[in-house]
Formats: sequence, structure tokens, C-alpha cells
Amino acid sequence: MQAPDTFRQALLIAIPRLRRYARSLVFDVAGADDLVQTTLERALLHWHQFDHQRELLVWLMSIAHNAFLDQRRRDSRLSIVEPSEVEAEQDAQRMDPGADVGLRLDLMAALERLSPEQREPLLLVTVEQFSYAECAQALGIPIGTVMSRISRARVALREHLDGQSRPAGSARLRRVI
Amino acid sequence: MSSNLPPDAFETPDDAMLSAWLDGELDPIAHANVAAWLRRNPHEAARVRQWRHDRDDLHAHFAPVVDEPVPPALLATLQRAPAQQPLWRRAAMVAGLLITGAAAGGLAGVSWVSQHPDNVAALPSALRGASPVQPTSWTHRAAVAHAVYVPEVKHPVEVSVTQGTEAEQRAQEEHLARWLTKRLDMPVRLFDLHSQGFELVGGRLLPDAAGPSAQLMYQDSAGQRVTLYLRKPEPGATAAFRFQREGELGMFYWMEDGFGYALVGKLPREQLLAVAQAVYGQSGMSPAPAKTP
Repeated sequence: MQAPDTFRQALLIAIPRLRRYARSLVFDVAGADDLVQTTLERALLHWHQFDHQRELLVWLMSIAHNAFLDQRRRDSRLSIVEPSEVEAEQDAQRMDPGADVGLRLDLMAALERLSPEQREPLLLVTVEQFSYAECAQALGIPIGTVMSRISRARVALREHLDGQSRPAGSARLRRVI
Repeated sequence: MSSNLPPDAFETPDDAMLSAWLDGELDPIAHANVAAWLRRNPHEAARVRQWRHDRDDLHAHFAPVVDEPVPPALLATLQRAPAQQPLWRRAAMVAGLLITGAAAGGLAGVSWVSQHPDNVAALPSALRGASPVQPTSWTHRAAVAHAVYVPEVKHPVEVSVTQGTEAEQRAQEEHLARWLTKRLDMPVRLFDLHSQGFELVGGRLLPDAAGPSAQLMYQDSAGQRVTLYLRKPEPGATAAFRFQREGELGMFYWMEDGFGYALVGKLPREQLLAVAQAVYGQSGMSPAPAKTP
């Protein structure tokens, strides 16, 4: 059975915020929109599972979260990134005229170095302005875990911004909570 | 409130507590206690102020995304059946929309109903007067294939020619041409539409009435896509160069040199015609890669 028009309409309204969350997770526009597309497709497929007592956005973010993890699992098996590509991408970001050059690029680089486990709750709370309870729902973890991951994310982000962190190459050795 | 409490009335808050305080997640008493503790510990208060700046910066950085126009491909996702459905059902759904023209206009923005005689243009004039191709047969399938695959963000084509280095792309093009040539049992060439601003994305094999057909997809720098549908014509079919338009979508189709061609795109007619002419101009040549060296 197809999702009703009212549901599609609600999804339509949610797209801008889904795109923002995806952008903050995936960084590049095309990759982020792929994530949004996957999220919308899954939402349409499972629309009947949506409990109308819940906040649609929280439900959608939980779908996006799972899609993001699926994608990372796939990428960790497949991805071979040419160093030149990475450089080109970083150059392109550096030349982005829309960015506040000094601070925000550092902020983005620092953000990118956080583990997804830290990054997701931090972004849901700071950018999406979710409560800890909503964040816990979206990520499927207890509120206490949300609380500790966010604080660790803040400390780690500051370390990166203050230049106290290890070089980027060792980023994948970071502790996973 | 804090003045009523001795300094050691509650334990030193840890980072999780400070962070929750910043996010307004503590109950009123705990909130006031942390506020009082921060006033007594200016060094810790400075750390928390930095966290607040980081929070505000993160929010400010991503805030503009919500004001960006939503890409058409995402809107299209909402207008069609879920991707996990078997492909034939999606195609059938699109086809169903086409047949019930009224629904198609509202939902997919595509509605191929039947040929509009006053929209038919013949070109080149040498071919004018030849009997028209039945528009409800393979050209219909070309339109359906366009409607199904063009909105696709992840898998617009089966064989992509846009990955990797230039040499790898060339190899992918050769592979695509060889593969389609073998499967269609006709020499398939990848047309070079750079002069029209279109780059080859890749191609896929599709089922047609009597056997396989192929779809080549091209994209311009603005992300606008056109598809070229290739198939073996029915025996005895005659060449005609015709145009159909419905809504924003247009199609030129013709037969030539043992091939049926249908070029579909959401372009102004003049521009679509120019692309069709570029294809037509190259179709007499021997198979060649899409990119000029």
C-alpha cells in the first residue's frame, strides 16, 4: 500500500531539515543528498510503522542515522580514496567563499575528526536543537549515553580546535565509547 | 539560592553535567547548583563558555542549508513508489500514470498520452512524409524509461563512465559500447554531445518488446539530463523524424541505419532538436567513443 499524500506532504516539509542534518554528517552536498534520498525511500517504504504520537522528525532522523551507519559500513569495505582527491576536496572547501574562512573551516575539520558516535548526538543537540530525550530516541541509545557522548564530543572538538589533538592520520584510532 | 548552600553541598560537576547544564537539560535545582559552582570556578566557566561558542558556531554554519532550494531529484523521490519495489512494478506504475494522463500531470509531471498531431515536426525534410512510428509502442517505453531513471540520484545508469581517471573513464566507455553492442547485436556507439554541453553519464540495458534495448544518459553542467533510447526497429519500419511534447518533457524519435532512436529530455524544443541533430549527425559514422581526444 502506498504512503498517503498527507504523509508525503509531511516528508516534503521535513526535507530541508533532513538535508541540514545529512550535510552535517556527510559534508559533501551530493553524498548528503544521497543520504536524504535513502532516508525518504525508507520512510515511504515503512510509512505504516510510523507512530503518529511521535515526532516525525525524530523518526526520520533515526532512519537517517541507520542509513548513515549502513553507508559507513559499506564504505569501510569499499572505499579507496586517492590522496589527490582528498587534497582537491580540501582545496575546494578552502576556496568556498561562503565560509567564514579562519574559524569555520577549522571547526569543520575538527568536527570531521570526531567519531560518528560522538558527532551524531552533538549535531542533533546543537544544530537540530533536539532535547536529550529526542536525541536518545533518534539514535536508539539511553539518555545517559547521549549526555556522556555529547560532553566527550565537546571536549574532543575543543582539543582539535586548540591544536592539542593527534594528527589526522591517527584519527581512526580514536576511542569509541 | 546558592548562597544558602555550603560550598561542598554537592559534588564537583563532571563534564557530562556541565554539558547538560549548557543544554538546559538539568532540573531547576541542579541547574542552579551548577550555575553557582561555575561562578566560583571561573576557569571551568571559561571552558563552558567556549563550548557555547562552539555550539553557536556549529548551528550558524549549518543553518543556511534549510534555506537552500530542495533538489528536484529529492522531490521526485516523494512522487514515486518506493525504490525497493521490484523494478517492473515501478515501471508499471509509471506506465499506469502515463495511461491515466490526468493523474500523471499532478504526480510525476510527465504524461505521455498519445501523439499530438500539431506537435509533430519532421526533420530532416528528406524524411518528411514517411509513415510515423507508432508512438504508443517503443517510443512509449523510451519515455517510461526516461521517467524511471532520470530522477535517480544513486543509480541513474547500470554502467557508469564518470568514475576515476580519464583513462579509466575511457576504458569504461569502451566496455559500455562493447557490452551494449554484444547484447543488442548491433553496433552501439556512444555519441559525443559535448558540443551541446552534455556529458555521457553511462548506460543501461532495458527490455523491449522483441529483445534488449539500451538507454544512454547524458547530463549537462546544471544537472539536466537527457536520455537516448536505442533499439532495433521492427522489420519494415520506415524512417521518420518526429517530435512529441507533453508538459515540460519533449522527445524526438526517428529511425535510421537499422536503429530506432528516441531522445527524451526536459529541454526547450530548440535545444532538444540541436542535441538530436548532433546525434543524427554522428549516427552515420562508424562506432566511436564518446569523448574526442
